Amino acid sequence: MPPRRPNRVAIVGVGYSTVGRNTGLSADELTIQAGKAALDDAGMKPGDIDGITTMGGDALRDAWTLGMEPLNWFSTTHAAGPAFSYAALQAIAAIASGFCHTCITFRIIHRQPPSAARLAPRPAAVPRGVGGDYQFLAPFGAGSPTQWAGLLTQRHMAQYGTTEEQFGAHVIAQRDHAALNEDAFFRDPLTMEEYLAARYVSKPLRILDCDYPCDAGSAVIFTTEERAGDFRKKPVFVESYALTAIRDLNFEILDDMTSNSPPHCAAEMWSKTDLRPEDVDCAQLYDGFTIITFQWLEALGFCKPGESGPFIAEGNTRLGGKLPVNTDGGACNVGRRHGANFCIEATRQLRGECGERQVKDAKVSVFSNGVGPFCGAALLTAD
Amino acid sequence: MPQPEAAVSPPMPAPDELTQFFWDALKERKLMIQRCQECGHYIHWPRPLCRFCLSSELAPGEVSGRATLYSWTIATQPFHPYFVDKVPYTLATVELVEEKNLKLVSHLIECPEDEIKVDMPLEVVFQEITPELTLPFFKPATAR
Repeated sequence: MPPRRPNRVAIVGVGYSTVGRNTGLSADELTIQAGKAALDDAGMKPGDIDGITTMGGDALRDAWTLGMEPLNWFSTTHAAGPAFSYAALQAIAAIASGFCHTCITFRIIHRQPPSAARLAPRPAAVPRGVGGDYQFLAPFGAGSPTQWAGLLTQRHMAQYGTTEEQFGAHVIAQRDHAALNEDAFFRDPLTMEEYLAARYVSKPLRILDCDYPCDAGSAVIFTTEERAGDFRKKPVFVESYALTAIRDLNFEILDDMTSNSPPHCAAEMWSKTDLRPEDVDCAQLYDGFTIITFQWLEALGFCKPGESGPFIAEGNTRLGGKLPVNTDGGACNVGRRHGANFCIEATRQLRGECGERQVKDAKVSVFSNGVGPFCGAALLTAD
Repeated sequence: MPQPEAAVSPPMPAPDELTQFFWDALKERKLMIQRCQECGHYIHWPRPLCRFCLSSELAPGEVSGRATLYSWTIATQPFHPYFVDKVPYTLATVELVEEKNLKLVSHLIECPEDEIKVDMPLEVVFQEITPELTLPFFKPATAR
């Protein structure tokens, strides 16, 4: 069966708001800054946009604020796993199917209170009950994402012999990439001793295995292949994509904690293209927790199942290695953009805008988002 | 960072008509899991429909309390005031022997960290947390 080829969609604008631990900016301000940055990157006016998707904002309200109308597509999403990719894939699908011609996608993160605030003494003598599926987690002191990440990490270690040093090698490699990215929060080199000395949040998961919470507005503008040449920057094309869900939101009781939604997503994505894993010049793989990047390396076929640890420890994912991964430093270092940074970094690599961390002659990249029950990914190319 | 005082109670379940049996059974020191009366599959977390055969003939079924350890993580950071003085504790995803992939989130207790092994056999221990809440914890199996 020949590959099912979707209509090609192009990325023509990317942008971020001011990003920081305590920006003092409202969600509206983050949206406005990111939107204007992406419009400016594309050399576009708000009236050029006829579609909007967002996670973290309100599509219609944000479009109204930014003067984007009339709209032929709008969607506000809440899928925390695929996150940015979910909103982006809705934009891509809307353009590929002809709903709209040019769509802006936002991921707005207006920071939640830190965990210390959640521990503050409460008048909890008569605590509110916990309903829904969460009633099977909260009474046990379970339910934090760091805890399911700990479970997934531990299972990978138990099943395949993956080591804490291999997770350390990944964290160190990403930090070295961040050193070449002036937008990263963390740029000082990290040693294995420092990694191993970092505190556990949910053993074997360390604080350095977690992305870094911050305020961030991210925006990406997609358009049709026909229009792609009309804007300021060299277009980057969406060669293939997939959005996958395998079951309920049950990270903690997944049938398989080492191989879940990403292999399905990757198979679907590869089925729509003639490109193969060996054609990819750099990969931008979600790292809300380090184990997620490990799973994507295996799912996308860059290494065999269970071999992501040695693959990383051998240096393959470093700049200059066989497959540079998370060349912006990843969300552990640039802060939580909930997947948007991986799409934006892939785009910038394929445009050749990455300066010291540029992967030479990069023509093909992939970005991914999510793990466990649901996820999304897209393969990007430069002509 | 000063640690806040521990709360007297963990987050309490607020059962609905689908889940009430699970919590009631624990108070009687029984582990009950929703089971399809047509195809026999167990379903956890409870749903109004069997997702294997789409039957709505569902009823609580008592299980043996025997399980194997699928994965574990040692919680070192509390995310609720009750657990401030409970960390570290070992969260475990256990697979009940009754059916493949029938999993439950619990605590692994009475097992030193260096003796934890994937797939190790476990048995349920009913732990009264408060007069209103009994939880099914798991410990290494003694009798086989």
